[in-house]
Amino acid sequence: MDYLSRTKRQFSITILLSLIASNFLIIAGWITLRSKLQLSNIDYALILGLLAIILSLLFTLVLTKHLISPLKAIWQLIVHISPNGSSVNAPNIDSLKIGHELIANLSMQIYQLSSITNTKKNEEQQLTQSANRNFIANKLPLPLFILDKEETIVFSNHPASDYIGLNQADIMGKNFYMVMDMAFPSDNTLDTWLKEVKSKNATASMSWERVKLNVLDNHPTLLFDLAAYYNKDNPDNYETILVLFDHTKQYSQDDQAVSFVALSVHELRTPLTVLRGYIEALEEELGKEMNPELQEYMQKMNATAQQLTVFVNNILNVARVDNDQLQLQLREENWSEIVQSAIDAISLRAKVRGIELKSSIDPDLPTVGVDRLSIYEVINNLIDNAIKYSGKSTKIEISSYMSKDGMIETSVKDYGLGISPSIMPNLFTKFYRDHRNRAQIGGTGLGLYLSKAIISAHGGNIWVTSNLGKGSTFSFTIKPYTLLAEELKNSDNNEIVRGAHGWIKNHSLYRR
Amino acid sequence: MDPISPGETIAPQNAQPARKVLCIEDEHFIGELYKRALTNAGYDTTLEVDGLIGLSLAQSDQFDIILLDLMLPNMTGIDILRSLRDPNKTPHLKAKIIITTNLEQREDVKQDIENQADGYIVKAEMTPKELVEFLNNIG
Repeated sequence: MDYLSRTKRQFSITILLSLIASNFLIIAGWITLRSKLQLSNIDYALILGLLAIILSLLFTLVLTKHLISPLKAIWQLIVHISPNGSSVNAPNIDSLKIGHELIANLSMQIYQLSSITNTKKNEEQQLTQSANRNFIANKLPLPLFILDKEETIVFSNHPASDYIGLNQADIMGKNFYMVMDMAFPSDNTLDTWLKEVKSKNATASMSWERVKLNVLDNHPTLLFDLAAYYNKDNPDNYETILVLFDHTKQYSQDDQAVSFVALSVHELRTPLTVLRGYIEALEEELGKEMNPELQEYMQKMNATAQQLTVFVNNILNVARVDNDQLQLQLREENWSEIVQSAIDAISLRAKVRGIELKSSIDPDLPTVGVDRLSIYEVINNLIDNAIKYSGKSTKIEISSYMSKDGMIETSVKDYGLGISPSIMPNLFTKFYRDHRNRAQIGGTGLGLYLSKAIISAHGGNIWVTSNLGKGSTFSFTIKPYTLLAEELKNSDNNEIVRGAHGWIKNHSLYRR
Repeated sequence: MDPISPGETIAPQNAQPARKVLCIEDEHFIGELYKRALTNAGYDTTLEVDGLIGLSLAQSDQFDIILLDLMLPNMTGIDILRSLRDPNKTPHLKAKIIITTNLEQREDVKQDIENQADGYIVKAEMTPKELVEFLNNIG
């Protein structure tokens, strides 16, 4: 039997009992009146009518209160669980005399209904939140991956799947390293970094430049910068967030060649290598069979090819200076040995011009802290200039000595054309050349500009003294090694890395 | 120094068998010059122009020295170097790897290459004969 009909019967019984009771009371009243008082029939009727009205009123009041109580309980309950009804107490269903079971059952259902509505609401909220998150993540024009503790991909946005050319289904739930076959430029990889931070940090962030991604066949290699954010015990299990910044175009160009200049340098160097190689082979094969005149031609060819090699390096290094990419590795070196080998390398060029290179290097000079290749280039450029501007003179003097202020000074002195005082201030400017000599003397105006940049990066000075018509002396200073030793002690690999425009941190990520 | 007549080979100073050089170089003239100079100095030289074939030759582990250009057809020298230094791809390699290139790299890329190779040479800065002297001086 269901609760409703049971309640209905309770109601009927209550009403029936009330009616019987009221009728019984009226009859009882009538009998009592008749036995005690002798009244007319009209009086009896009036008194009994009055009694019936009073009793009906009484019973109505009691019945209504009784019968309305289940409805009241339901009303109380609904108001109680409604969002603003916290001030109304929950009904005491156990105290109900009528419809107790029905109301208990109904209120349970109401509670259930309300909790379903709440869950629905929460779910909707969560759905909206996650939709918002997805929307933002997918509108972010950068590939984004989120990994859990096991480095499984728990989220990736559309740009991410598009970027690596896979479907979302092929990415989600997979191990990140299985999806992304990456190569890093150094030992500091995502893998090693994550291992380290997982053991030490609660949160950490890191970025890498020039990460290479080997993707499936028929897909070009991708190059990008990678930024990572690590957050241990993230409640959503979003432990590592990775964002990729694509630089494929730029870096692949860079990797093939630093820039247009580097590419040109490559294109110049290859035929130069071939030329120098065959000149050497010819000298070997023909050697002594050649008459002195031919031998001289051969030497001139060789010297010119060498000069071109130096010039090509100048172009490259000027581009590096201009782009803050020239890096010097300062190490302890024997100065006289460097100067002597630079002189030896250029001696053929002097010889074919009929110029004698005289050197006087103080044998007791202390060791120096220099970048061998760059400083070599400075000496080479200065001697090369001296050769070019020697005019009819046949002597160039190279000397090296300790200066009064504790620096090692080296000068290259020629007895040639000299420099007009009016142009002296511009001498170390890029592309600047003495216009009076442009027609006769080849050059680009890069050598002195580059030499100044290199010497400055060494912490030295470069300057010139000249007498028009009598020759010029170019001098520069560099630091003895002892002055650098203190800095070297603090560096990690026994060398100091410097840029042409001052200090740069070794192995820093965003160097440019 | 006495000139070397064509075709003449000079026995290595010690009586050991000739050192074997693999020269992976796609510029034919440079390859020819290197082969000539190396052969004249008593090296047993193999020339290869293709990157992929070069890698498999190198992995055969029959060479003492590998001269490796960076810009190569089919596979770049950097990728060859990485494969040769990856124990999963090349379990054993006795050869010394010398990078020979005219290409300029960014400093960090260059540093990385230098760390993995046994030598780094700018071809334009060394004549073939100077290259041979360089090779004579490495172990």
